[in-house]
Amino acid sequence: MIDLSYWIALSGLLFLVGAYGVLTRHNAIMVLMSIELMLNAANINFVAFSHHNNNLDGQIFALFIIALAAAEVAVGLAILLAVYQRRGTIQLDLLKLLRW
Amino acid sequence: MSNLFLDSSWLIPLLPILSFIVIILTSRLKQSPDIAGYIAAGFVGAAFLLSMLVIVQLGEAEDGNKYTSDRTWFKVGDNEFTYGIYIDHLTALMLVVVGLVSLLVVIYSLGYMAHEGRRRTRYFAEISLFVGVMLGLVLASNFLLLFIFWELVGVCSYLLIGFWYEKPSAASAAKKAFIVTRAGDISFLIGLIILWNTFNEAAAAQDLSAFSFQFLFNPANLAGHSSELTWITLFMFGGAVGKSAQFPLHVWLPDAMEGPTTVSALIHAATMVKAGVYLVARAYPLFVESPDTMMVVAVIGGFTAFLAAAMALVMYDIKRVLAYSTISQLGYMFLALGAGGYLISQDPDLEEAKGYTAGMFHLMNHAFFKALLFLGAGSVIHSAATQDMREMGGLRKVMPVTSLTMGLGVLSIAGFPFFSGFWSKDELLAAVFDSGAHDPVFYFLWLLGLVTAMMTAFYMARLWFMTFSGSWRGDEEHKDHLHESPKVMTVPLMVLGVLAALSGLIALIDFPGINDGGFSSYLNHPQTEGMVHGHDFGYVLEHTFTSGLTYLSIAAGLGGLALGYLFYNRGIDEELPTRMDAGIFTATTGRAALHKFLSNRLYMSDMYNKFGMLIFTKVAAGCDWCDRNIIDGIVNGMARGFSLSSQRLRRLQTGLVNHYTTLIVGGLFLMLLLFRIFPEIWGWNP
Repeated sequence: MIDLSYWIALSGLLFLVGAYGVLTRHNAIMVLMSIELMLNAANINFVAFSHHNNNLDGQIFALFIIALAAAEVAVGLAILLAVYQRRGTIQLDLLKLLRW
Repeated sequence: MSNLFLDSSWLIPLLPILSFIVIILTSRLKQSPDIAGYIAAGFVGAAFLLSMLVIVQLGEAEDGNKYTSDRTWFKVGDNEFTYGIYIDHLTALMLVVVGLVSLLVVIYSLGYMAHEGRRRTRYFAEISLFVGVMLGLVLASNFLLLFIFWELVGVCSYLLIGFWYEKPSAASAAKKAFIVTRAGDISFLIGLIILWNTFNEAAAAQDLSAFSFQFLFNPANLAGHSSELTWITLFMFGGAVGKSAQFPLHVWLPDAMEGPTTVSALIHAATMVKAGVYLVARAYPLFVESPDTMMVVAVIGGFTAFLAAAMALVMYDIKRVLAYSTISQLGYMFLALGAGGYLISQDPDLEEAKGYTAGMFHLMNHAFFKALLFLGAGSVIHSAATQDMREMGGLRKVMPVTSLTMGLGVLSIAGFPFFSGFWSKDELLAAVFDSGAHDPVFYFLWLLGLVTAMMTAFYMARLWFMTFSGSWRGDEEHKDHLHESPKVMTVPLMVLGVLAALSGLIALIDFPGINDGGFSSYLNHPQTEGMVHGHDFGYVLEHTFTSGLTYLSIAAGLGGLALGYLFYNRGIDEELPTRMDAGIFTATTGRAALHKFLSNRLYMSDMYNKFGMLIFTKVAAGCDWCDRNIIDGIVNGMARGFSLSSQRLRRLQTGLVNHYTTLIVGGLFLMLLLFRIFPEIWGWNP
């Protein structure tokens, strides 16, 4: 039986890694992967608290989030593919048409 | 059943207004210009017919001389405002005058406006509306309704004076007429406000509106308010001064000649300027409560009569002569109303409201002969294609009907014995003379009136002889185009000619059941009810011709005509323009200056222009500065502020995803700091 605080620390760490990735990476694929990390940090939290509270709701939520993340990645990758075909790059600092 | 026509009298003003609507609705039709005139004539004719039936039935009404019908319009607190019809004998007189003259003018217009093409639609629509609102003004049962129609009359005159709006002079004349009469209207409105404040509570106690004639024409209701009544009537008279073009607001009427001649005829004879006289006559029960106001009315009337007649002496434009003559004759009416009212307020044992009846009598006669003169002038202009009498002459041979009928009008206005103007002018001057017994000012006004009568005869003779006798002085080429006007124009002239010659006899003839006891008793007003009036034919004749005053006014009229004949009939030919006024005005420099002074209309218009321009340009410049700097400053400053700040703020939108995410995460940390960490550390809670 591992103490709840370890799970929270793990998920917090995972979230920070993901956030760091989102903030610093310039490649869109890397950013998408970082977002996956952040989502999974949330999943860990859900499952941990579900186990702690003896309530299955959290685990069901985690399953939904996994499905959602899969759909999101599918859409995201499709967009990136389209962007690449049109612009020849997926470097985020080069994709800045939508601005003042 | 017995009051069928009286009960449908509300249709009288509605019919011409309906004609306006019908003409507007059919204005898209191709035939519209051709039928518009007939629609207008039909509806105005129907209104006239109905008003005649109403007048006949008025004699059989229950209380003999009055018919009222009021409906609630709206209520404010306890105060009820009504709309409705008020018909008494004064209304009846106005209905005849307005209806008959308007009908003849509309018929005449069918011929006069024949060359105007599609614009006839607009002309006949506007003229129907004009007639309708004037009839509404006459029938209104309270001052509020009267004021509304009063303003509508002003609007219609604006529209019609500016009928040829593409001419700058017509456009500015229309504006001038509207703005100058507005000055009077504001005065009228102030009078009404004071009236309301004074009588509001007393009227509400009787379940009446303070504006309603029913309330105001009961002398008991007016008692004890004499100082307020002075102000009320003075301000009301201010409105009449504007509308009836009395000094000092007379400047708009001569310029109003820019409209079609038929419009001038209508404005001068039936609508618009008669509204001012009608207002004073309508409000007579209020006016007689205040001798001071009556004095002001009489003095302004007498002074205007003289002044305008003097200006008419030197005008060359045939319509302007007539315009000044109208101002002068209206002055006469006010003089009579004022003098008669003064006498009523001074002499409780008075047997006859002589000034009042004489004034309204003159109004009626003036309507006929002035409509005749204007329509005749229109006929002349139609043929001669000029308004300048110096370029006319000799038209008698080519235009026999016009010259003959205008001759009747001239004799009538000049007060030639037994013509209509003679009866009323004589009665009017006698009334003024009577008031002299109470205040010598009236003797002076009477003298002024007598001199004016002579000048009137002179300038009317001048007009007629310059136009019709001698030989043609205009273009030789145009000489062949001179022609008598078509039947549709000459027939109204003939009808008006007969009326102008004979309408004065109404004073002598009894119409059984309608005016028992002659005209003067017919025109009763509530204040003089119970006074003895019945004069039969013999009495009036005897009374008129045993008075020395009558012979004086006959002498004045004949003298003026004779002078006019002497000056303008002998050898008027090539040298005429220079010779014409040489006799009296240009012989010495002093007289030349007088001529110039009168020709320039006493410089009144110029003075108004100068003063007006001075005030208006200064005020306008101030407003302009305010608008440009303060109002625009606020609006533009705000816009500029937002524009500048947004110029800066938009830079936040870089389009780089990393920047946005950084902001999001940074914001998250900021919120963590604010709501979690700071409270933990310092116990501080935002």
